[in-house]
Amino acid sequence: MDKLIVLLPATPLLSALLITLLADRSRRRIARLSVGFSVLTFLLAAAALAFYLAEGQPQWASFAPGWGSLYLDPLTSVMSLMVAGISLVVHVYSVRYMAEEAGYARFYILLDLMAAAILLMVAAGDLVTLLVAWHLIGVLLYFLLGHNAMRPAAQRYAFWTFLTYRLGDLPLVLAAVLLYETYGTAALPTLFERIAAAPDAHTVAGMPVLTVVALLVALAAFARSAQFPLHTWLPYTMEGPTPVSALMHAGIVNAGGFIINRFAPVFVHAGGVLHLVFAVGLVTAILGSILMLTQNDIKKALGYSTMGQMGFMFVECGVGAFSLAIYHLIAHGLFKGTLFLGAGSVISNARKHDGVPHDDVYTFVVERKPLAPRLPWVLAAVITVVVPLLVLGASRWLMGGDSVGEQGGIILLFFGWVTGAQLLFATYRLRVDSPWRLMAMIILSLIIVVAGYTLIEHGFDLFLYPDRELSERIYAAASLPLATFEVLVMILTATIVVGWIATYYAAANGRAHRGSDASPLRLAFYSLISREFYVADVYAWLTQATLGLSRRLNVWSRWV
Amino acid sequence: MTLLLIASLFLPLFPLSIVFNGALTTLRHPAARGALLLLWPQLGIGLLQLAPHAVPPYFVPWALLTSGLYALRLLTVRDMGRWAGLLATSGLALTWALAAAGADRADLHLFAFWFSLPHALVALLALPLSRRFGAAYAGLQGGLIGHLPRLSGVLTVTALAAVATPPFPGFFGLLRVLHVLDWAGAVTVLFIWLTWGWAATKLLQGFVFGDERMESDADIGRASTFAFAGMLGVFIAVGLYSTGGGL
Repeated sequence: MDKLIVLLPATPLLSALLITLLADRSRRRIARLSVGFSVLTFLLAAAALAFYLAEGQPQWASFAPGWGSLYLDPLTSVMSLMVAGISLVVHVYSVRYMAEEAGYARFYILLDLMAAAILLMVAAGDLVTLLVAWHLIGVLLYFLLGHNAMRPAAQRYAFWTFLTYRLGDLPLVLAAVLLYETYGTAALPTLFERIAAAPDAHTVAGMPVLTVVALLVALAAFARSAQFPLHTWLPYTMEGPTPVSALMHAGIVNAGGFIINRFAPVFVHAGGVLHLVFAVGLVTAILGSILMLTQNDIKKALGYSTMGQMGFMFVECGVGAFSLAIYHLIAHGLFKGTLFLGAGSVISNARKHDGVPHDDVYTFVVERKPLAPRLPWVLAAVITVVVPLLVLGASRWLMGGDSVGEQGGIILLFFGWVTGAQLLFATYRLRVDSPWRLMAMIILSLIIVVAGYTLIEHGFDLFLYPDRELSERIYAAASLPLATFEVLVMILTATIVVGWIATYYAAANGRAHRGSDASPLRLAFYSLISREFYVADVYAWLTQATLGLSRRLNVWSRWV
Repeated sequence: MTLLLIASLFLPLFPLSIVFNGALTTLRHPAARGALLLLWPQLGIGLLQLAPHAVPPYFVPWALLTSGLYALRLLTVRDMGRWAGLLATSGLALTWALAAAGADRADLHLFAFWFSLPHALVALLALPLSRRFGAAYAGLQGGLIGHLPRLSGVLTVTALAAVATPPFPGFFGLLRVLHVLDWAGAVTVLFIWLTWGWAATKLLQGFVFGDERMESDADIGRASTFAFAGMLGVFIAVGLYSTGGGL
């Protein structure tokens, strides 16, 4: 088993070394070699998962007295398989996609090194190994994003990413130093045991050390997963090659969710930090979704969509649903990777067919078709408000009565409710020949998706957190005082119900488009969005100010 | 105290650091610069051991100030020799934090070596660049990666080693410094580390990336490439061994 864990990061590393030595060979040979090693890595990851399932016990393997250890637990085995799988797809896709690009061998070397670094990160068994891998991912990403050395934009945005990642490295390093100083070990299993034994052992600046550590880990996760206001680099990484975008959006950007799960025993003692994670995730999800809707570039829209999804992932962590966050990041990784790799085909098709649906006037006047009927708006509104809530509530209830009582589960129900309602509203706005049939099909789909999702999530939670007490304590740590929570639930429920009824009323009475006049408020809001809330401008100003200060210092000191 | 002040000429503290950087500027040959970068701090540690008193606590903020100042200045330096000098000043100043915490002599020598060897290699790399383009000046010749891949690769890895990127030993030295510092000191050192990384990307963007304005297509030889790669490989291996890593 020890050898298998070592082989996981070692295999892509060996591939990178071999390609470095054989860089003068033909492109086809380099690609074959790299893809072959990727297949092997994927098989090893699958074997590691199978071994874990067979043995059922986490394995920790150390290779030196100080640091340098690997840890195979449920989180590692699942994440390794996902990373190896996405890496394999990206390797295969790149064979032809990068064929005309300069630096073919360099690209595969970097891709292999990146796979090795991510696998090392997910399998790290001690704090130092984790730091080394965490940091290397940022460095390698810089070179992958800037692969096209001649494009100034690629270099600029690779630098943004690098600097944000470095900024996010700092709190993680501090957290590691604090944990080591407090508990006297870098080995993760021992560390977590000691934390469980003495959670309130020390304070830093008047705060419990675990609260400070959790805050630092959360800050590192925010930078890595593009949480507001550290998100500006993410949409611009599209300047890099498409396979890199896919790898990043499907894998690397999810590291924030992984690191929070890895430090779950710390977050159990830091409920306040979980609330902060929830708030930051919520803001990021909302802003990411708003910015996504205003883009006219498919890849940039996908970038902001990733930002929104990362926000949801942090919301899940913030409510204590850690395993759901991992399930979310895997699901998101798979569908976002597919979308990126398919973006080129979409653009190609769009050049032939714009795909914009005809409006009612066009259908009636040009196509000479009568307008199809719609459901009565009151009925549709009631279905929209009630059905998703019933479906979600029933699915949660089926998974166990206790989970309905968990605040995290209830908060996630709200998100599911709004999402389901959005789907039904989109159905209502469509003019189809048989709206009842369509509505029934949509509700059936909703039931299947939600029930499947809930079942898988439940199984996933049992797999990732076999220690049920830990899972329950995470939910408990994320809970709010009961009175506050109930007031919040009532306000949210009223807002959602009233909001949907108002939306349906406006749509049914043709008011949805009347407000499109450019009022000063709308224009101000639009300019705010189009400038992406001026966050990047603030960073650019800070950067220029720092460089200006550096120049002045050099002039004053006459360069010595 | 006098010995400590003399030592701060060799483990440079501002404004005494002007002597070290002045000497580096005066030396024109990259090999001489490299030798100075390697030997100068070791002399300083020797002097530290001769000092009858322990390092006073106020040397630590002084060292952090020096390190921060030179890290900030590094951001806009384009000459590679000077870049190596300013980075070395910034890195070597941190030796005082370890010395103030009572680190033993071997640890101090090793720490200084972890920081000065990559800087010496960066200074040495100015030689092939000067031979080809007349000067080792970032932004003068961009896009080396297209025509001089070996030199670009060696330059990139050496620059990463110089700014304490893991798994190079400078990173573990930095962790050691963080371990002995208080909360505010540790945060300061981390921001200095961030600034080094920023400076390294600026240096690489000036040499390795960007538009090609080539006047020379002669890359460094395989032997030189293997020599640099081998040296950095051994550097990593020795660093991992001495810091307790086993991977």
